[in-house]
Amino acid sequence: MKNFQNLFLAWIVVWAVFFVYEVSVARRIAHLRDEIERLKRQLREG
Amino acid sequence: MKLRLAGTIAAALLIIFGGYAALFIAPEERTMHEIQRIFYFHLASWITSFTAFFIAFVANVAYLATRRAKWDWLGVAGAEVGVACCTIGLITGPLWARPVWGIWWTWDARLTTTFILWLLYISYLLLRGLIEDPQRRATLSAIYGVFAFLDVPLVYMANRLWRTQHPQPVILGGSGSGLDPMMGKVLLVCVIASFGVMVLVFLDRYRLEQLRYEFEELRQEVESRTVESQSISEKGRT
Amino acid sequence: MTTARAAALILAKELRLEFRTRELLNATVIFSLIVVVLFSFAFEPTAAESRRYGPGLLWIAFLFAGSLMLHPSFAREHTNGTLEALRMAPITSFSILLGKMLANFVFLSLAEIVVVPVFSVLYNVSLAGVVGRLILVLVLGTLGLVITGTVFSAVSAHARMRELLLPILLLPILAPLLIAAVEATASLLTDEPSHYGTWVAFLAGFDVVFMTVSWLLCDYLVEE
Repeated sequence: MKNFQNLFLAWIVVWAVFFVYEVSVARRIAHLRDEIERLKRQLREG
Repeated sequence: MKLRLAGTIAAALLIIFGGYAALFIAPEERTMHEIQRIFYFHLASWITSFTAFFIAFVANVAYLATRRAKWDWLGVAGAEVGVACCTIGLITGPLWARPVWGIWWTWDARLTTTFILWLLYISYLLLRGLIEDPQRRATLSAIYGVFAFLDVPLVYMANRLWRTQHPQPVILGGSGSGLDPMMGKVLLVCVIASFGVMVLVFLDRYRLEQLRYEFEELRQEVESRTVESQSISEKGRT
Repeated sequence: MTTARAAALILAKELRLEFRTRELLNATVIFSLIVVVLFSFAFEPTAAESRRYGPGLLWIAFLFAGSLMLHPSFAREHTNGTLEALRMAPITSFSILLGKMLANFVFLSLAEIVVVPVFSVLYNVSLAGVVGRLILVLVLGTLGLVITGTVFSAVSAHARMRELLLPILLLPILAPLLIAAVEATASLLTDEPSHYGTWVAFLAGFDVVFMTVSWLLCDYLVEE
């Protein structure tokens, strides 16, 4: 059914938007965590 | 770290369960058959989007009143999550409309307002990206956020007034009219699932902003220490 | 110094500054005329169609012209560093905002005074009998435009790409104003049932809402 195609597409869209957004946020969090650790180490040693 | 992973898995499971309910548990609709099932995530996305924007508005006002950074974090998180949910709504809507009514889009009051809402908060995010100083960014974007949110009812009213004067085929006829109880339950499940996902993503985004703030403070401290030690070593030389 | 007096002084300053060179004013008028002319290529301007599409094109011309010419309002102060001086003066921040809003209103109105008759001539749209009511729509619409526009000029003055940012911020917010102004103007020029009163009331409401919000938030706009 052609309709089912659209339904599936919509489902994919919901998933994709959530996934892409969540992953981008998670990556940036991880990156920042590393940077913060780095700076903290710098402060301790400096 | 583990908590975040657990949260993400929980969100994924919620989406899967909600989707399963929408696709297989809900009864088939008489006229539209399969395609109607989009309605479950479509309406849910609109509800979560508006909630996120409302939270952003409250956060904007709170920031201007208190100047506490956490309200700024809440504001940007709300705006981003709201835009994401609104995007889902704006894409799933036409995907539903095309097979059912033969058109991708129409400029009725609800759709126009949603599109403008989306544009307003995209502009909010654009504005934030273009201001360097964190405090100014927070203040100015909060001001814009207040204007934007208060504008939305005006947009809706103007469009309603306009469209009732130039009547158009009423196509978004009450989707809730005479809703089968089973459909209602599935809708509730999907809305709860969407809310669950929204909350989790929201919290993550908030955390990201909080970390950015922490990073900035640490960076400034490191810089000032470096400057200090430089000037001390210079004095030592003379 | 009272707010009204301070605003009047700032208004006078802005007017004096602008009338020295008149560059912004000239540019605004010319730009509006260009848009008006350009639209004649977009559709065949028969009399009936001009009356139907005319209001829309007129207000789009003013919206575009306005969003381009409003940005110097605060940007000039930002570049020249004169905002600090204004801040330190014993005047309220609302008077600064109000003075600039009034100045922008004057500039845009002057442009409209030129463009509307030209439009009327070029598209054969008679304004007889509706001038007074048309002026009311123009005043209320322009007011809404400059109120929000001046605020956003202050907001975008601190951002990069502020020439492009101001229209991006301003135009979606002004969507209801555009609808109301166009419909009110159209009700005067066409034979369709008139909802003039409704739309004028809407415009007035829009102005009141955003003037109030501007007043509430003015301190944050002008601060450090």
